[in-house]
Amino acid sequence: MQTIRKHLRYVSFFMAIMMAFGTVWASSATAGVVGTGELLTEQRADLDRQSLLDMLERDEVKEKLAEMGVSQDQVEQRIQNLTPEELSSFEQQLAEAPVGEDVVGIIVLFLLVFIITDMLCATNIFPFINCIR
Amino acid sequence: MTISTHPHLLRIVASLVLATILAGCASRTQWPDPDTLDITSDTDQRTVLNRVPFFAQERYQCGPASLAMMLNSQGLDTNPDVLKELVYLPERQGSLKVELVAAARAHGLLVYPLDGSLESLLEEVAAGHPVLVMQNLRFGWWPQWHFAVVIGYDAREKNIILHTDTRERHEETLEVFMATWGRADNWATVMLPPEQLPATAQPLRYLMSANDLETTGRTTAAMTAYQTAEQTWPDQPAAIMGQGNIAWGLGKPELATQHYLRLTGKFPGLAAGWNNLAHSLAAQGCASASKTAASCAMAIDPERFDGAVPAGQDSNATAPAECPVLDCPTPSF
Repeated sequence: MQTIRKHLRYVSFFMAIMMAFGTVWASSATAGVVGTGELLTEQRADLDRQSLLDMLERDEVKEKLAEMGVSQDQVEQRIQNLTPEELSSFEQQLAEAPVGEDVVGIIVLFLLVFIITDMLCATNIFPFINCIR
Repeated sequence: MTISTHPHLLRIVASLVLATILAGCASRTQWPDPDTLDITSDTDQRTVLNRVPFFAQERYQCGPASLAMMLNSQGLDTNPDVLKELVYLPERQGSLKVELVAAARAHGLLVYPLDGSLESLLEEVAAGHPVLVMQNLRFGWWPQWHFAVVIGYDAREKNIILHTDTRERHEETLEVFMATWGRADNWATVMLPPEQLPATAQPLRYLMSANDLETTGRTTAAMTAYQTAEQTWPDQPAAIMGQGNIAWGLGKPELATQHYLRLTGKFPGLAAGWNNLAHSLAAQGCASASKTAASCAMAIDPERFDGAVPAGQDSNATAPAECPVLDCPTPSF
């Protein structure tokens, strides 16, 4: 187990470099005509993001957040950092929440936001990554 | 502290659990309130789409049969035997939904997935659109998938009317239908010619369906769908951009420029529009106008667009008189 972990570190580091490469490559490759699908994905994400931000304005949600000891700014920041996929999965969760229980559903949703962002800290493979707290 | 010392707590928990379960059961088989439905026909209690032809399925071949019903109802002339070649997997004794969807697109129809609510299903049927549904006739852990076409409903009897397996106009109670449909994640879709709008069409969802036509190379159908969308929702930039991108993809930069000019005119804050315009202008030979457009894109979204002028034809291949004179929007939005 210990040896696997030891090697994992190097493999992970290598993968991280590769992924960083991929990102750089992808961003320079988008210089061209912007596809219709690309625009639609962005618009969908903006819509999802806005509906999440709108929920932050509700009093029950504000209270719950205050109870949990997080400021509204922090949550807004986190919502801005979510990818289109993450946003749409939240929207789906919300759509599946039973009618009439939406306040509870929203709070669960927020808890999920925290779980996802904190998961980055829960896994401790990369010693050089500091948790965002 | 144990639960036994708090009999009240136990009672509360039990009643909460029970309430949740019962609420779950009760909410399943409600016929939607007629007031909430957006059905224009004067509160028809019973609607049956008579022009949807029926094809009895052969063994395991509900996919080709259902697809044939959907396609023929839109004026196409095909039959399950022909479609079998396209969508039937002998080894799996069935069809996959992606294949049904792809085959409908190959016939030039726009495939619009419904949102999975009973209300939407009924609204589409009321608008005259048959709905292809997927059902699971057994259990989640031992599924038997099935495709059928909803062609009507009876609000008084609370029945859903389907062309299914070998039964024409089979009337299924709402309870049975909702249970079997729900076990297939309420999958439902309409397949329409691109000049027709689904009754429950949402702008982005519809545009994504149109984009599926574009990316699968059905450019004529996609073009029509984008035009339909532009007329219906003038506030959707993707409807215009799609038309421009199709023209661009077909190697017609002049035509693309026309669409992109309309796009930047209506949505001056959309950086992607200016970027695409820069490309079509460059390909057309309008180097100076292209440079302006590229700088507009960069002014709006500097992180994404670097303002580089796309490589095009010789800078003066087109007479400057034919090139548009552009002005970047004022950065007030």
